[in-house]
Amino acid sequence: MSLSLTDPSWYPIASSDDLPFRHVYQGQLLGRELAVWRADDGNVNVWENRCLHRGVRLSIGINEGGELKCQYHGWRYANRSAGCTYIPAHPADAPARRIQNKTYPVREAFGLVWSAANDDIAFTPFPGAETGTWFALRPMPVNAAPEDVHAALTSLAPDDQPAELLPALGVRVGTTLYFVQPIDANRAVIRGLLAHEPADAITTLRHYNETLTKLRDRLERAAARKPIPAPLNPAFDKVSVELSTMPDISIPRGNTMTVVVKRKWTSAEGIIGFELASRTGHLPTFQPGAHIDVHLPNGLIRQYSITNGPGDLLSYIIGVKAESASKGGSKALIETVSEGDLLAISEPRNNFPLRRDATRTVLIAAGIGITPLLSMARFLDKSSLPYELHYFARTDDQIAFRAELGALHGKIVLHTGLARDTIGQTIATALGSWSRAQHVYVCGPSTMLETVRATAAAQDWPEEAIHFEYFKNDKVIDDSSSFEIELARSAMTLQVPAGKTILEVMRDAGLSVPSSCEQGACGTCLTGVIVGECDHQDVYLNDSEKRANTAMLTCVSRAKSARLVLDI
Amino acid sequence: MPNIDTLTHNSWQVIAATEEIGIGVVTTTILLDTQIALTRDADGLPVVWRRSDEQNGDEIDPDTIVERLPVITGYGYIWTSFGTPPKELFPIPEYAEPDRVNMSCGSIGIHVSAPRAVENFLDMGHFPYVHTDILGAEPHTEVKEYDVEVSEERDEVLATKCKFFQPRAALSATEGMEVEYVYRVPHPYCSVLYKSSPEAPERRDVIAIFLQPVSEDRCRAHLLQSMIDSTSTVTDLRRFQQTIFGQDKPILENQYPKRLPLDPRSETPIRADKSAIAYRRWLSQKGVTYGVIPLAS
Amino acid sequence: MAITLYDFELSGNCYKLRLLMNILRVPYDIIPVDFFPGRQHKADWFLRLNPFGQLPVLKDDGLVLSDSGAILAYLARKYDETGQWFPSDPATMAEVLRWHAVADDITASSSAARLALGFDYDFDIAKTQAAAHRIFRLMDEHLWFGEREGRDWLCAPAHPTTADIACFPYVMLSEEGGISRQDYPALRRWTDRVRRIPGFVVMSGIFPAGRALEQTE
Repeated sequence: MSLSLTDPSWYPIASSDDLPFRHVYQGQLLGRELAVWRADDGNVNVWENRCLHRGVRLSIGINEGGELKCQYHGWRYANRSAGCTYIPAHPADAPARRIQNKTYPVREAFGLVWSAANDDIAFTPFPGAETGTWFALRPMPVNAAPEDVHAALTSLAPDDQPAELLPALGVRVGTTLYFVQPIDANRAVIRGLLAHEPADAITTLRHYNETLTKLRDRLERAAARKPIPAPLNPAFDKVSVELSTMPDISIPRGNTMTVVVKRKWTSAEGIIGFELASRTGHLPTFQPGAHIDVHLPNGLIRQYSITNGPGDLLSYIIGVKAESASKGGSKALIETVSEGDLLAISEPRNNFPLRRDATRTVLIAAGIGITPLLSMARFLDKSSLPYELHYFARTDDQIAFRAELGALHGKIVLHTGLARDTIGQTIATALGSWSRAQHVYVCGPSTMLETVRATAAAQDWPEEAIHFEYFKNDKVIDDSSSFEIELARSAMTLQVPAGKTILEVMRDAGLSVPSSCEQGACGTCLTGVIVGECDHQDVYLNDSEKRANTAMLTCVSRAKSARLVLDI
Repeated sequence: MPNIDTLTHNSWQVIAATEEIGIGVVTTTILLDTQIALTRDADGLPVVWRRSDEQNGDEIDPDTIVERLPVITGYGYIWTSFGTPPKELFPIPEYAEPDRVNMSCGSIGIHVSAPRAVENFLDMGHFPYVHTDILGAEPHTEVKEYDVEVSEERDEVLATKCKFFQPRAALSATEGMEVEYVYRVPHPYCSVLYKSSPEAPERRDVIAIFLQPVSEDRCRAHLLQSMIDSTSTVTDLRRFQQTIFGQDKPILENQYPKRLPLDPRSETPIRADKSAIAYRRWLSQKGVTYGVIPLAS
Repeated sequence: MAITLYDFELSGNCYKLRLLMNILRVPYDIIPVDFFPGRQHKADWFLRLNPFGQLPVLKDDGLVLSDSGAILAYLARKYDETGQWFPSDPATMAEVLRWHAVADDITASSSAARLALGFDYDFDIAKTQAAAHRIFRLMDEHLWFGEREGRDWLCAPAHPTTADIACFPYVMLSEEGGISRQDYPALRRWTDRVRRIPGFVVMSGIFPAGRALEQTE
């Protein structure tokens, strides 16, 4: 039996004990090196031992509990998805979500961690697995061909009680099970299991260790007398065409997936929490500040921020504000969707990314604006980066996610029932004066955002240090202008009449353009401007971005000049 | 047989620091998978030949060596070639300035290809993670936009306006500062960087890496420093540079594949990698195949 | 009068002393010795300090000391008020010295392979690599059973000793000698623990470990 790179069998690649928290284990299976690590939530990750950036081993990286950090450039990869969540060289950008290291299937069972070279077959326990509680022996690496190791183990059995061969290089000798992990053509690891933990564990473990050591020595002496088989030569997958050029940030609208409402609860007065769980495996990677589109039963689409911390990908937790005055969006979600229902959601999108290179981060949340900032606080908290979270609410009962906030180690200050001018003063004190590498992130109603922007500016915080996300655009849109747009890359010139948005006109002409809120708040429809003066009516771009006239939001903004040339 | 492309065959390749080669004593080394030997004659001039059975440390009379390889000295190093090399080495004019402190910093073997080592030399994003508290420190991790061009007339890759915040930019630096770098790649296996000297900010310290391609996945890194520094000793300056290079070594040796892949779909570049991308394209255009995984034809 | 350390940045043996002195918060001055390429450790002035022509050399209080293992014991006995790093009870001291001897074997194997591959020293690479693997196998076994017996370190006490400091550098730098530690998971976990000792500092070629779960709570 010779080894095959496409062998679909499951083999044990580590003991559970080999994965203490915050450790990265270096393994190998069928010639492919593996980086194996246990996240703080207990999940075991088995990834190709190679960072996609420049091919450095992930096993020399750092397990940060929810993310793995590459030693070369500090790129972070999320638990479960292996998606890149942060690239320190470009701290202001949310990395293209599809930068994702190669993962292998994993199952932790019987004191061992099992994996396979591909997804072709599902994990099945070995025959007789249900008959024992299983106790792992010390693993024994052997520099000999796996099939020779397997044969040698088989010959440990006495003549009157022959060994029982098991699938995938396994063998039962009496009540002991041995699995041979095929590392490479001339290397293996013997992983033994006893049916139950023995009374005198250490003595028994030493006894088996001695037996297997002698076996190993015999096998290696025999292997040294034979020609060395050529090692297996796995190839690395190619990176996608989009990622091989400089990957850009925006993710097109389109793909939805179905999630199940695992939990629905009242987090605070007027704020309902929803836990949207994946139906198989995990959900896509996101970075702090990201939001999803939720497709409501009444046909509307609304954006909600993800509150999760790093590597927490089995479900997304969102907070929904009960607004009687809403157009029917949140109301529909709260009143008609129950636990157990299915919902369609988009992949996460991030127009509010968190920098992790600040010496001080101030997070200011008002009302439902806590949701993206809770995620940011969780990421900073996990990496032990300094932050303060100021959470403003009208009353104490309206403070949401109390338990989650209580689990954080940073400075969390709740401000309830403050009068307007007191809020301004409180923010001024919280911000303080600015110095290099300090950033503030704000989310809440437009009045709060304006207060923070004005206060920060008065205290000399530069525009690049103030980050905000509007959930909605309260401004009245003046769509009375008419003008011409030339689409530079689509070779089209279109007329935009009064009453129609640029976005609508482009779609009518057959272009496929991404959008989300369509109110000028989320930034998804951001388009480059080459010529012309924009009439910015959005709440997404900051003042200098608006003055620069190099980008606009086509869902609400228009032109002051007679013509615009757009980079689309 | 390894793939020695025409350019690599005909280029000058560095093999030793001149002062380390004993007069009348054999030093052996490997270049492009070939065993060679060298010595210096009574005038101190290097002699290089294809090794037959000479051992390292043997005494030898250089006059007895008849079949010699081309040889040139430059920047404190001995260079040779198996083909027809150009008349001169690429220029580093600063080296000749009279008040410069010029030194080699030792030749260190690394188990990776020469082009991988060049690319690491061009990279700034790793400063806070690999050269922590010296060339970079969290949270100052941003690599700001910089300029890259391939100069046809000088036949070099050039990266300018590269800025990075460094806690300790050079041995003579006493506090953190934003440093501006210029990088040149004047040879497939050599790179030169320029950074403003803390002692004389209007002038630049020069640090160069000359890689000797031992095999397609091994090289020897020969480091040159040409500094404006009137107070530090050569030992101190060497120590600083060796500290830096010693930190890069385990990263380079943990990179796979060891040869530099020129296919853009092998790895994931970001904007900060502009100089690396230009370097990889430049190697492809020049037809370099040794030490790289060429584009599939 | 402060301690003076004759030191080479890339030397694991010198690093043992820098590491212990940092952990013990003992101040010291460094005199850099151009070991490579300058071969200053064979210069006359150095041979007068240490006729064996080896680094490190440590001067303290008029004493001139050489051999990293001996100096570790000296520093621990003199400056460690807890007495933990080099305990004085005979049984533990013998255990520590036993591992100091292993550390010397690690130097003779792993460090030699590293010098051969990285610095052109004339050692038999295959032989030194094989010798290192033999030692690492034994260490992995010892540490694995230690984990099961509630022992995190090379010696019996519930805290690290100079034995761990002595063995650590050339274990951690083994890959520079072409010696992979993939087959030694317990050894790899021990290197995490050493790197989390309060006061731990790196040398070129060694990276810090991330914080352990307990340290973040």
